[in-house]
Amino acid sequence: MYLIKNGRIHVGDGTVLDGCDILTEGRVIRDIAPGICCQEAEVIDASGCEIFPGFIDPHSSVGAMGMPSRYLDNQEKTDPLTPQLNVKYAIDPDEIDAQEFYKSGITAVGLTPGNANVMGGQIAVCKTAHMKMADRLVKEKAALKCSVTSEVKSVYGGRNQMPKTRMGAFWIFQEALRKAKAPEEQEKGKLICEIFEKGSMPAFVAAQTAGEIQGVLEMMKTEHTSLVLVDGYEFDRALEEIKRQNAGLILGNVSDCSQVTKHGMDLGKICDLNENGNLVAFTASNGGFSEGREVFLWTAIEVYRAGADAEEVVKMMTLNPAKMLGVSDRIGTLETGKDADLSIYTGHPVKTYAARVRTSMINGEVVF
Amino acid sequence: MAQTLIQNGTIYTMEDGDTVFTGEILVEDGKIKKIGTRIPEEELSGDVEVIDAAGLNVMPGLIEAHSHIGLFDFNGESSVDDANEMTNPVTLSIDARYSVNPQAREFKAAYSHGITTMLLTPGSGNVFCGLPFALKTYGNNVFDMSIKAPCAVKIALGGNPKGTYGERNQLPMTRMGVAQVLWDTFRKAKDYMEAKESGDHPAYDADMEAMIPALKREIPCKIHCTQHDMLTAIEVANAYGVRFSLEHAWGASNYIDEIVESGCDVCYGPIGTYRAAGERRKVDIEAVKTLDERGVNVALITDSPILSEESLYHHIGEAVREGVPYLRALRMVTINPAHVLGVEDRVGTLREGKDADLILVKGRPGLDTDASVCKTMIDGKVIWQSVS
Repeated sequence: MYLIKNGRIHVGDGTVLDGCDILTEGRVIRDIAPGICCQEAEVIDASGCEIFPGFIDPHSSVGAMGMPSRYLDNQEKTDPLTPQLNVKYAIDPDEIDAQEFYKSGITAVGLTPGNANVMGGQIAVCKTAHMKMADRLVKEKAALKCSVTSEVKSVYGGRNQMPKTRMGAFWIFQEALRKAKAPEEQEKGKLICEIFEKGSMPAFVAAQTAGEIQGVLEMMKTEHTSLVLVDGYEFDRALEEIKRQNAGLILGNVSDCSQVTKHGMDLGKICDLNENGNLVAFTASNGGFSEGREVFLWTAIEVYRAGADAEEVVKMMTLNPAKMLGVSDRIGTLETGKDADLSIYTGHPVKTYAARVRTSMINGEVVF
Repeated sequence: MAQTLIQNGTIYTMEDGDTVFTGEILVEDGKIKKIGTRIPEEELSGDVEVIDAAGLNVMPGLIEAHSHIGLFDFNGESSVDDANEMTNPVTLSIDARYSVNPQAREFKAAYSHGITTMLLTPGSGNVFCGLPFALKTYGNNVFDMSIKAPCAVKIALGGNPKGTYGERNQLPMTRMGVAQVLWDTFRKAKDYMEAKESGDHPAYDADMEAMIPALKREIPCKIHCTQHDMLTAIEVANAYGVRFSLEHAWGASNYIDEIVESGCDVCYGPIGTYRAAGERRKVDIEAVKTLDERGVNVALITDSPILSEESLYHHIGEAVREGVPYLRALRMVTINPAHVLGVEDRVGTLREGKDADLILVKGRPGLDTDASVCKTMIDGKVIWQSVS
C-alpha cells in the first residue's frame, strides 16, 4: 500500500485535482480524496510534483518483433490477410524492459503487427515494467491491425503477387469484407465478420497519405467496427472526412525525417479533431517501426506547441489510447478501482523539458 | 550607414561568465557593433532601424554540428543519397559542398527554428568518408553560404562501413578491419606529409593532401563511433596527435575517463532511437552532464534530416531533463559547436565584432516546450520572422 500525498493530480480526462491524496492497495487505486489517513500505507511525499496516469503508446513494435533474427516475429509476410494471428506469441518482454519506458512516463504499450499485411493480426496491451507476463498483459485481441501503406505493395508487389498497387491493396481488403459475410465462410472469414460487421474489436489501419486515408474512410463507411487511423501524416488534408466519420487518429512519430512526413502538415488541426470528438493519440512508431521512448513525448510537445491545450494533450497520452484499445476500465485515468499505473513528475512534461520522472508505479509497485 | 538596434530584449550572450541581462544590441554591416545595457547615442547613425524585443529573449543563432541536409535529399519524389560515396573505404578528399541540394526545404526548417549555422557532412558509409563544411543556413548557393570548407575530416567506425564492404566481401567486414584501415591511412598520410616537408615530391594524392590539415591540427577529425568503438577512435587519434570529436557517442557514460583524458570533443546525438541490441543498446544523454562537468566540450546533434531540424530543441530539453543547467545546455548548441566547427571567432556567442547571427525567441528553446522563434537574423539581416 502506498499513500501519495501533496501532489497535483492529472486525472487523464482533462481535469486536474489539487489537495488530494492517492491511496493504492495491491494492483489498484483504492481511493483518491483529500486528507486520506492510512497507518499501514507507505507514504510517498509528492510535494511540488505532478502526478500523471501512465502514458500509453497504443501502437508499438518494440518487443513485438521478437528475438533478433532474419524474420521479425510481428510480420507474417506470407499472406496479405492474416487477421487471426495474435501478437501475444511474438512478445519478447526483455526487449520491452530494455527500453526503460517508464523513464519517459510510459507504462503500457499496444504491441502490434507491422504494416506489411492488409490485415496483419491482433494487437495486445502490455505493461512496460518487468513482471510476470500474466500480470503485465492487460488485454490480448485488443484491436485488429490493418495497413494500406506502400509497405504492403513493396512486400507482395516485389514478388509479383497482389497487391502490387494501392488499388490492389484496397481490393483485397474489400473482398475480404465481402466474402466474410457469406454464410459458408470458414474461421478467418467469421473472424473478419465478427470484427467489421459486429464490431468485436476496433480496426487500427495504417494510412499515411491523404489518398490512403480517404480510401480507408470510403471503404469503412458501411462497416460497424470503430476505426482508428495510424500514422496519418496527411490527416490535415482529409480533415472533414475524418471528422464526419469520427475516426480516431494515432499520430505517428513526427521527429523522424519529419520534413518529409511533416511536409506542410498543419499540426494545429489536431485541435479541430479533438474538439470534434475524434480520439487522438500518439505513437513513437512510424511505418510500423517504433523509435525510442523519448519521441512519444516529443510528438505530444509538438502538438502542444502547435496550439493544443496542455491537459487535452495529456488526455491524448492517457485516456484516449486506453479507449482506443478498449482498456479504459483498467488504465488511462487516475480513478478509484483502476490500476495504480502512474508517474510522479517533477513538473509538467508537456510544458517544460525540465520535468523528470521521480517515481514510476505500475500495478501498484514502485518500478523506478 | 544602415544600422539595426535591438532594444528591450533579454540578452543571452553565451559568453563565459556572462549573466543574462536586459539590454541592447547594435548591428552594423552584418556584425555586432555594440552590446550592452544601453547603447550610447553617439554610436547611432541617422539611419537606424529599431527592433523592439520587449518580452523576448535574444540569443545567438543556434548551431548544429552534425547534419546531412541536402546530402540525404528527401525533397524530390524519391529520396537521394548523395552523402555516401561507398565505392572505397577511403574517399576522404571528397567535398560535401558538391552534394548539397541548395533548395532542400530543410534549410528553411532550420532557420525558422533559429538554427543559423550548421556543419554538413558526408555520411558514415566509408571509414574515411569525406570533408564536411560549415555554412549559414540561409541563401541560394551553398558555396556562398559556406563559411569554412573543409572544417573537418569525417571518419566512421562500426556497423556502417562494415555493412557497406562486408556485403561485398571486401575489407572492412569487421571492427578489426576498420581499425586496420584507420591505422594504414593515418600512417600513409603522415609519411606523405613528412616526405613533402623533407623536400621529396611524392606523387600527388588527393586523399593524403586532404589529411594534412588534420595532421597539423588545423582542422579536427569527426569520428562516428558508439559504445566501445570510441576506444578505438581515441587510441588511433591520440597516436597521431590529431584533434578530434566523437560523433553520436552512444554509450559514452561507460568511457568518461578515457574521453576526458583524450582531450577530445563530443558531439552527442541523436537520441530518440529504439534501443536495439548492438550499437543502439545504450543511448545515454545523461552522459553529457558528466562530460560537461568534467570539462569536455560537448555539442548536441540531431543528424538532421534523419531527425527533424527542430528536434534540436528536444535534444537540449532531454539534456536539461537529465539535470544539465539550462545555460550549460544552451552552450551545447551555440558556443560549444562553434568550437567544434572552428568558427568560434565568428559565431556562437553575442559579442562585439562577431557576425550578427541572432534569434529573437518567445520563451526559452529546450526548456519551455512552447518556445518559438519570432525573428532570425543572419549577417545582420532579418531573414525570417513568424507571421503573428
